Amino acid sequence: MGKIKKFFRYDNVGIFFVLPAFLYMLIFVGYPIIRNIILSFQDVNAGNLVRGTKNFVMFNNYLELIGDSVFKTSLFNTLRYTVLCLVFQFVIGFALALFFNRKFAFAKPIRGILLVPWMIPVTVTALMFKLLFATDIGVINFILRSLHLINKNVEWLTTPGTAMFALICANVWIGIPFNMILISTGLTTIPKELYESSSIDGANKVQTFMRITLPLLKPTIESVLILGFIYTFKVYDLVYVMTSGGPVNSTHMLSTYSYKLSFEMFKYSKGSAVANVLLVILLIVGVFYIKATTEEEV
Amino acid sequence: MDILSEKTFSLDNLSFFIFLPFRGAVNGCMMNASTDKPYMRKGLKERVKMKKKKITALLTAMAMTAGLLAGCGSSSDSGAAADTTGTGSDAGAEVQESPAAETTEADNSEQAAHTGEADAVTIWYYWETEGHQVALDQVIQDYNASQEQYEVTAKYVPFADFKKQLSIGASADELPDIAILDSPDHASYVEMGIFEDLTGKFDVSNYYDGTVNSCTVDGKLYGVPFGANCLALYYNEDMLNEAGCSVPTTWDELMDTAKALTTDSVTGLALCSVQNEEGTFNFVPWLWSTGATSYEINNDNGVRALTFIQSLVNEGVMSKECINWTQGDVMNQFISGNVAMMENGPWQIPTMQSEAPDLNWKVTLIPKDAEYSSVLGGENYAVINGGNVDGALDFLTYATSEEKVKYLMDKFGYISADKTIAENQFEADSPYQPFVEELNYAMPRGPLAEWPSVSDAISLAFNQVITGTAAPEDAAAEAQATIDGIVK
Repeated sequence: MGKIKKFFRYDNVGIFFVLPAFLYMLIFVGYPIIRNIILSFQDVNAGNLVRGTKNFVMFNNYLELIGDSVFKTSLFNTLRYTVLCLVFQFVIGFALALFFNRKFAFAKPIRGILLVPWMIPVTVTALMFKLLFATDIGVINFILRSLHLINKNVEWLTTPGTAMFALICANVWIGIPFNMILISTGLTTIPKELYESSSIDGANKVQTFMRITLPLLKPTIESVLILGFIYTFKVYDLVYVMTSGGPVNSTHMLSTYSYKLSFEMFKYSKGSAVANVLLVILLIVGVFYIKATTEEEV
Repeated sequence: MDILSEKTFSLDNLSFFIFLPFRGAVNGCMMNASTDKPYMRKGLKERVKMKKKKITALLTAMAMTAGLLAGCGSSSDSGAAADTTGTGSDAGAEVQESPAAETTEADNSEQAAHTGEADAVTIWYYWETEGHQVALDQVIQDYNASQEQYEVTAKYVPFADFKKQLSIGASADELPDIAILDSPDHASYVEMGIFEDLTGKFDVSNYYDGTVNSCTVDGKLYGVPFGANCLALYYNEDMLNEAGCSVPTTWDELMDTAKALTTDSVTGLALCSVQNEEGTFNFVPWLWSTGATSYEINNDNGVRALTFIQSLVNEGVMSKECINWTQGDVMNQFISGNVAMMENGPWQIPTMQSEAPDLNWKVTLIPKDAEYSSVLGGENYAVINGGNVDGALDFLTYATSEEKVKYLMDKFGYISADKTIAENQFEADSPYQPFVEELNYAMPRGPLAEWPSVSDAISLAFNQVITGTAAPEDAAAEAQATIDGIVK
């Protein structure tokens, strides 16, 4: 009885507000995830999707993945892509946030305009960057040639190494506003008094930044990085439109490879095994996120 | 929260709308920052705030993680829904991410269809060309007006999503009554067991063998060829005359001609080389011309085909960018005058005639190595079992009548799968006529349930040599290893 009473205290009212969303998630997110996990332990292909027995093959699909070179490429690609994107997005976004935090004319409208990349549908961005990076008609090659930095057009999207570079460029462009706005919001919460008193104490710019701005922004930075990681790690549309995993499977991500296995080659179980690898990695990061956002209160 | 509403204004408010879905994230960040103020004492209010924060954070993280599952389909699916041209199709836009949820709905609509005035017959197709859609729609309207028993509707599903939608539809029991699908995929779906056996219901004895084979499995007919097409070589006649070249018929001549035609702004030859079925479609004529088959690549013939394509790129007469060009892109490059010759199909002709009426081009057979070769393309009608089979058969009987076939083929720029119709379909000087001749050399891909995997190996090998990431010998060996793992 006491427990029930305690449960209904003001603190817990929120649970009832969350309940509808929770049920929704259970049905539309929980069920597919569990179904997908079961699928990855079966052997489901074009032949037995509709009729016939779906044999349980235990970890066979996962074992097959270990020997699959495209899977290794896509796992490595996804990690490399995520880390590089995060680093550039975060550094540039942070710099812009600091810049626009200063008071100058049109600071706010310009910051608003900088959000445009985040508003454009990713498919549109992808097509745009595909044209920018085109070998013969691309603007980037034109500029580089005009500046005499290159003699011969760079085959950005048709060479394995540079195709990944182009993808990262496109995603950094999309991701900067996300980082900028979250850090900007974090900056506005730092009390001005702290800066005033530090300047009275004779702190210089670097000291102010290192001792006040960074420590007070730590929770924001953690959230931005972890959310950024999750968004970037599950990239699909950008890669699908720009390279479709090519050239020669060199830019496949876990998501695009999973799609290809499932819906182009009808290997549903292997495809869902790839999706589950993606899920597990993101779950681990998700746990870190929850830890990072809750530990401050203890 | 208070910070957002009080301190930001003007254009910056945009952020408010953009981040509506991510409010949890924004709130999370801001609350962290505010609770972090060292000079604040943590009171009751604070604790409530943190409870909220905890839940918000939990939900946000869940939503982010979950997004990846839905993420795979969402972007392209929205396109599918928006582009729907047919109306009232029961399997409409909702065949999306959660197949399981729709099962009951499918049952309901099926019942509704059977108790209504006219029985509904739904068709799925993937043609994006407006002319194709209009022509099909015309035939459907004529059919609906000609009788009262059935009401046919058609739904457009983008090609990229078509296989996925059929697979999901199959497992969710949510399929159309007729599917008009790409012929090499036919065998896979027969294997899935979703197609009705049509043996004896249609007379296909006068059809081209390749077209009939593509919908025949174990001697049983599981579909009716809609129409046939194949690839041939288009050339820009003005450029050819200017360079003083004659029309190439062999690989050596093709290489010489392509070199002569290549200038600073023009590349000699282009063929769609994307790494999927579309690319395979364009590669196999070169492979088969040497005498290699789709299943035996690692031999002198297979290596010769790969070497030839690689040398086209190495000599600079074919752009490496072909690996990102669909057949439509290749056609656009051709009519823009950036490319002097291209491998492409007859369905491009209506567009080329309307977009570039002044361009002087002709069509010829694809140059040969050992023998002329082309690849058979086109769609088949398939009837889904368990649906409105009677209605589907009735419509197909109507749509495959000579008059309707002629009308459709004409509007589509296709060649009839029926030999008699095909031979009299075009005037002698029609640009379509070379395709009728080429059709004699055209072979189908498969039919094989695992064709998509074989196809992937073939297109990968060609992409490897085009991008120079593997030598022809290695590419052939790798493809062979993959294919042996599938076929043997």
